[in-house]
This record gives sequence, structure tokens and C-alpha cells, in this order.
Amino acid sequence: MSQRLTAASEEAALEQLHADGCTDGLPVVIPTPERVERMVLASGLDGDVSLGQLGPNLGEATVEKAAIAAVMAGCLPDYFPVVVAAVRAVSDPRMDMTEVQATTHNLGPLLVVNGPAVGACGIASGFGALGPGHRANASIGRAVRLAMINIGGGRPGTSDMALLGHPGKFTFCLGEDEEASPWPPLHTSLGFGIDQSTVTVACTEGPHSVLCFPDDDPEVYADHLLNVLAASLSGLGANNTHFARGTQVLVLNPDHATALADVGYDRATIAEVLCQRAKRTWSELSTVRARGSGIDRHQRSQGEDPELVVHALSSPEALLILVAGGTGLYSTVMPSWGAGPHGNSHLTVEIDLDQTCEIPLVMPAS
Amino acid sequence: MRDAIKAARRDTPAVALVTTKFSPQGDFVSRSAGMPDIPRVILPHPVAGTGEKAMKMVADDIADEVLQALGAAG
Repeated sequence: MSQRLTAASEEAALEQLHADGCTDGLPVVIPTPERVERMVLASGLDGDVSLGQLGPNLGEATVEKAAIAAVMAGCLPDYFPVVVAAVRAVSDPRMDMTEVQATTHNLGPLLVVNGPAVGACGIASGFGALGPGHRANASIGRAVRLAMINIGGGRPGTSDMALLGHPGKFTFCLGEDEEASPWPPLHTSLGFGIDQSTVTVACTEGPHSVLCFPDDDPEVYADHLLNVLAASLSGLGANNTHFARGTQVLVLNPDHATALADVGYDRATIAEVLCQRAKRTWSELSTVRARGSGIDRHQRSQGEDPELVVHALSSPEALLILVAGGTGLYSTVMPSWGAGPHGNSHLTVEIDLDQTCEIPLVMPAS
Repeated sequence: MRDAIKAARRDTPAVALVTTKFSPQGDFVSRSAGMPDIPRVILPHPVAGTGEKAMKMVADDIADEVLQALGAAG
């Protein structure tokens, strides 16, 4: 059972939560027992069920505490199964959330939702899906951040040591546009069925835009697109390029996805090609980093051969490819950190949409 | 900090090395892990990426302090 606080009014409660460092700096919905209870009911789970431990505080992420975060973030109870799955993911030891919160690098968990939950919750996947104006995206991602603050204890400068942070650390959630995609949904390539709902979590930097104009020749267009994506996935300032590991995310807009599909590419072959092309030679790397810094395993094992090639993706599986956003010239890449005991990999958790209990109506006081 | 805590839990004398800027974070982690008094030595910030020469100078500067803390821990 969570600690109960008392306040003279909702306004006073809000100020108290701000003063205690329990918010993300924006106003929150006050998590009254009634609101939290309604949220818990939407999970079909008991409030004291643990979803894992969330670092660096190693706080017990119970369903009730996740519900408090969801209420504060402004979630509808219908969204709560997505929040539960996402909190389960970020509490999984494989996500290294203690290290992710503590690093000086600027990264945060990106939530990609697939399956029926996208439509059921109204999660945006088209124009501006990662921008403002979409309640489900905004509040689900925010709930996870509030859980990371209040359960995980991540607070800037004392336990969240990101040198600058990025705006996605307020909220960072979108759906895959499965209808606009020329390929089966992302989660089906990760071992889930098309009727299952999932949230895939990858801790990344913010979105980096990638420009590619169409070409009259479809083969040339696809080749140019793959070249510019590969260059963007192996930036000389990106950790992945130097550490040669970590999941990166590629969000293809539907036009770019279609252009690749039209000449025969699918998700797997795109990942293979980009894994090959997203690379730098040691001579390129040596122009931007100190000799003898020994920060990548290639250098440690093979010395400083100028012709040595370092791949920014350790394998095709280290690239998550989804289709989202409006149609047009821009796709997006999210590089990542590439460190931590588990190498900053991604994780997919099923969303249990079928366990929701009937939510009692809240009647206004007469 | 967590490495030192893990070692100390196995009854291995341990001292955490924490840079000045990470000192509050180290305090937070040690408190949340239930070992607020784990011995620690404070290093200048930053240490990472400063190169082997600078690292050796830091090591020379703190060696006695580390030994002292390990002695106290043992």
C-alpha cells in the first residue's frame, strides 16, 4: 500500500507534489484513492502485484504504484494495460534501467505499441505521432516517466545524470501505422501474433530527421534512401558508432517504406543492408576521438588499423524498423547509448487487453 | 557504487570510487541499496575519457586514501 498524503485542496496537493519532486515539472492529476482504484481495476490485477523493480532506487513497481503514475499523467483507465506492460518492460533487469537513468548520455525509453491496443486506445501513429495533441500517446509515455521518477527515483542531477536530457523524457510513445505499412507489423517479426498487442521498449536518443527525395528510377530511389539512412545510423557523434552495439530505431514514413517495398525489400532485408552499410573506418573514427581511448571492442581486439571497419549495428536484429508518421520526405532515426550490462537492447512485452474489469462510473456529487 | 555494494555484501572489503559530480548520485544509490555508509573515495570530475596519463595521476593521488578506506572496511 502506498503512503497516503493529505492536503487541504487539490491545488495544495499539486504544489506539495511539485515541492516533493514527484512531478515532471508540469501539473499532474492528483492521484486520489478513488482515481487510483479505478485505474487498478482497469488492469484486472491486484494493486499489490509487482511488475518488477525499477532502478536506480530499485523501487517495487506494483500495479498500484503504476496506477498512481497513470492517474498523475492523465491516462484514461483504458490506457492502463499499456502502461502496465510498459512498466513491466522498463522494470525488467535486461533493460538496465539503473544504468539508463544514471548515465550522462541523453536517452529515454521509446514505447512502440503494436496490435489491437493501438486502435483500442486511440494511439496515434500518423502525422505528428511523437508530437503534441494525442492524449493516449502523451499520457501513456508520461506515466512511464512518472514511474521512473517516483518508483525508480530518477531525478535530474542526483540520480538521473543525463547531461542535457531530451524532450522525449517527458513522454515518448507512438503506435506503428500498421495499415500504412507495406509489411506485417513490427511485433510479428519479434515473435508475437498479429492479434496480440505489444509494447516494444528501446531506450534511445530523440528523433533525428533523415531527408530523402524521390527519384524517377525506383531502384536509385531505394538505394539513395538506404545510403542516407545508413549514414544517419552511423553518425560520428553517435555512441553506437563508437561502441558498435545498442538497439537503434528507424521510423520509416509510409512513402519511404513503400518505395523500399516496391523494389522488393522487407523489414529483414532492410535491416541486413543497413547493418552492412552503417559503418565507419578506423581512419574516419580517428578524426574525432583520442588515440588510445580504447572505447570500442574492435579497437581493443584489433588495434588501430586505419582500414578497420566498425559497424554501428552489431547485427540486423539491433535495428528496430517501424512505419509511422505522415507521408512525405522525412524518415527518422533514433540512435542510442550502446552501453550498460545488457548493451542497451530492446524488449517487447505483451499487453493484456482482456483482463479489464468493469469500471464504475464516477458520479458528480449532488 | 553498486559494484562496491555487491562486493561488500559478499564480505569482500570494498571502496566505491565516485567523482565529485556523481557524489550526490552515489549517496542516493547507497541509501537506496541500504548501505549508506559504504566507504567511498571522491575523484575529480570527469574521469571517463581523460586518457591513461590522467588516470594514472588520479590513481597516484588517491591510492593511499583507497588503502586506508579498504583497511577500515576490512
